[in-house]
Amino acid sequence: MSIVLAGHGLIKKYGSTTALAGVDVEVAARDSLAIMGPSGSGKSTLLHTLAGIIRPDDGQVLLRGERIDRLGENKLSALRRKRFGFVFQFGQLLPELPAEENVALPLMLEGVPRGQAVARARRWFAPLGLDGLEKRRPGQLSGGQAQRVAIARALVIEPDVVFADEPTGALDQHTSEEVVRLLTSVTREQGAALVMVTHDADVAAHCGRILQVRDGRISSHSQYTVA
Amino acid sequence: MRSPVLPLTWHLARSAGRRGLQSRLLAAGAAAVGAFVLLVMVAACLGSGARADRTAWRVPDAAPARAATAVQATTTTYVRHKPVTVVSLAQLPDRGPTPAPPGLSAFPRRGEVYLSPALAELVRELPARQLADRFPRPASYGTVGAAGLASPDELVAVIGRAPGDPAVSASAGSLGWYDEGQTARAGITGFAGDKPSLFTGADQQTALLGAVLLVVPVVVLAAAAGRLGAARREQRLAALRLAGATPRQILAMTAAEAAAVGAAGALAGALAYGALLPVLAEIPYGVGSWYTGELWVGLPWLAAVVLGVTVLLTVSAVTMLRRVAASPLGVAQQADPRRTRVIRLVLFAAALVYILQNTEGQLSNRRLIVLLALFYGVFWLFGPWVVDRLGRVAGRFARRPATLLAARRLSDDPRAAWRTVSGLVLAGFVAGFFSVTQLDIGFPEHPDQVAVVSQDAADARHTAAEARTLLDRAGVEARVGTVDDDDFSGSVLLGNAGVVARVSGGPAQIDTAITALTPAANGRLPVSQDYVSAPDATVTDRIATVSAATLILSFLVATASAGLTAAANVLDRRRVYGLLRLAGTPLKVLDRARVRETVLPLVVLAGGTTAMGVFGAYQLNKAAGATVDSSGALQLAVCVTAGALAMLAAIGASRPLLRRVTTNPAQTAD
Ligand SMILES: Nc1ncnc2c1ncn2[C@@H]1O[C@H](COP(=O)(O)OP(=O)(O)OP(=O)(O)O)[C@@H](O)[C@H]1O
Ligand SMILES: [Mg+2]
Repeated sequence: MSIVLAGHGLIKKYGSTTALAGVDVEVAARDSLAIMGPSGSGKSTLLHTLAGIIRPDDGQVLLRGERIDRLGENKLSALRRKRFGFVFQFGQLLPELPAEENVALPLMLEGVPRGQAVARARRWFAPLGLDGLEKRRPGQLSGGQAQRVAIARALVIEPDVVFADEPTGALDQHTSEEVVRLLTSVTREQGAALVMVTHDADVAAHCGRILQVRDGRISSHSQYTVA
Repeated sequence: MRSPVLPLTWHLARSAGRRGLQSRLLAAGAAAVGAFVLLVMVAACLGSGARADRTAWRVPDAAPARAATAVQATTTTYVRHKPVTVVSLAQLPDRGPTPAPPGLSAFPRRGEVYLSPALAELVRELPARQLADRFPRPASYGTVGAAGLASPDELVAVIGRAPGDPAVSASAGSLGWYDEGQTARAGITGFAGDKPSLFTGADQQTALLGAVLLVVPVVVLAAAAGRLGAARREQRLAALRLAGATPRQILAMTAAEAAAVGAAGALAGALAYGALLPVLAEIPYGVGSWYTGELWVGLPWLAAVVLGVTVLLTVSAVTMLRRVAASPLGVAQQADPRRTRVIRLVLFAAALVYILQNTEGQLSNRRLIVLLALFYGVFWLFGPWVVDRLGRVAGRFARRPATLLAARRLSDDPRAAWRTVSGLVLAGFVAGFFSVTQLDIGFPEHPDQVAVVSQDAADARHTAAEARTLLDRAGVEARVGTVDDDDFSGSVLLGNAGVVARVSGGPAQIDTAITALTPAANGRLPVSQDYVSAPDATVTDRIATVSAATLILSFLVATASAGLTAAANVLDRRRVYGLLRLAGTPLKVLDRARVRETVLPLVVLAGGTTAMGVFGAYQLNKAAGATVDSSGALQLAVCVTAGALAMLAAIGASRPLLRRVTTNPAQTAD
């Protein structure tokens, strides 16, 4: 199995707070990893470090074997745009753009002509159960629908890795279940890896592996077999 | 039980941190600017009215011949193209005493000459044969006090004469329309006249015109300031809402905070106005700078302006926050884009037709103000409609992401986009309007002439000989001739019989000629082109001054509110901007979208209103033969360019803010 993304000996300090105290992780293609742990334990910091959003003080981040933790800001930004997809808790869609244009935006940023970008974006609506919602604005969607649009946007560029920070944090139990099921299955079908922070064990259970973080360290690492 | 609202507001305000403080300072600053500009406008309007009243004593307040105790003859002469008001007074024998004119301690005795301080200085500076010799030369001059003057810069002379002096004789009186507003003579019993001088009479209405044009930008600025803190307050108050505060309490807290910020700012603006009064008084308008007291608006006005700005800010803040109070999560739940309906276009078109139909020919100032206010009103409705259409068209054809984002934002909330640019758009109208100057086709100009009015042709021939001698003695090179009373366009006498000297040389020679010819003028003073042009030139000059001031101020105010709105937008949208940036969207794209969402409507609308302004003014002046002269067009181009650049700079000013609020991932993502 090929390792897509790896972090080795990651350390991150904020003043006297140690957010990451030497973390090692590896994710393979089609693999999904849930990061769990108490509040303030360093989950988001780990996700951001792996995604090239923040730079570790020490350690390495490797994407397909190449170090990305020392790249310049512009290169990192381009890398996130082209190779990663992101799903956040809420509020990531531009409220005035129809759903399909929100999804097409990453493609347009890459220079795909608008017509083509929107056509490619639309293809994601049916698989995610969003049929007929292409022209709706985020304000006209339910929380679960908005998260599914966000998933479409994360996947439209065919990324290597999808990062999700509490993607179901603002949803009810039932909707969470549905969204995370789609997130994991579509990511796997796409051949991408998934790294997801969550505090919900039912949500985490959809992932192949669960990483427990405590005080910036990995406290346990369990393997599930997912149907 | 005491309401928890005020203590809670205070606590929240104190704990809001540095960025909260910054946005509050900005909002207060905007309120200060708004209050300051409003107060200056009110001061200019009230002050120019009050000071015009102080010139009313110079127009003779005619009394029945039998009752008159004195004769007053007022005339106007020009030195270096500036008007000098000359008031000759003669006490009639065997009549009761006449009270002192304003600015003098007693009615002047024959031979006494009183000069306003500015005129006294000019008399000292210029050779006597250019100015002082036009009046009697006493051993020493008296001084016309401030009570009789509209401005410290006014040139006024009061001269005591004998009752038989030609300067107070019937021949020194008005010849009719030719002397309208500049020369008059009558028997008087005092100085209770209420007609302001030609040179101050138009000041107040023109100032009012400027004020009307400025109100809109100032209101927009105050509203933008009210919105500024909204995003931060929204988050905190959403949290409070989750903690169980009622919508009513939240609104009350918002109102309390915005009112405090607004009142503090408005008070600061009022203080600045008070402190800067002496500086403001130095700014010349019409007849010159101001007596400081004339620009003091009084406490009721001061209070009204402070209150008005505070209320505006508060209302704007509360309106912004209503939606948070309604939805606990504080997420902008704006389901439908705010559509604008065609009725706006219809109303605008109807008003435009009405305005066009009512601007044929001459218009009174008051009517002009009403029409202008109407135009502004309907344009306020029309603007959002245009922005909406513009957004849709641009949205259809946009190819770059930044353009698409901007276009969608325009049609999503056209009113907000309109507010941002409205100030500059309406200022564009002003700029266009005033770039059209009225070409005076009344009579040809004769800047080289100095003329003396005569009774008839015989008298004129006699006077011509005298004039040659006088000019020769004064060393003035001139061709002297007589004009008949049927020659309307050949001389500055416009159809009065008399003698005309065509003087070679500049203003100094003209002034010397006027002075030299004074003894030949039958008690009047010789006239020059300035005398003829004054009635029109005064109005044109006031309008030019007011329009320049209005333009500069409205550009400043509009730029300030565009900058504030841009900053508020960044703060409002920090989460989505931050998350987009985390996902790799280049900051440049977000920034470009921000700029485009202002520049698109600005170019279209400001271009449109500028053209409309030009057209409107053209329409108004058509009867008088208006042209857009090259300097007017240049001024217009400079104004619009400068305004647009300032606008871009103002939006650019929030670029660091955009960078900062999107940089910290931890703050953004959680
Ligand atoms: N920019 C920052 N500056 C200072 N300290 C920070 C910063 N970002 C994170 N921290 C600290 O690092 C630690 C880990 O934070 P992190 O956001 O990773 O926690 P988390 O596990 O995601 O918590 P939560 O479940 O609440 O989201 C915390 O103690 C936090 O206070
Ligand atoms: Mg977190």
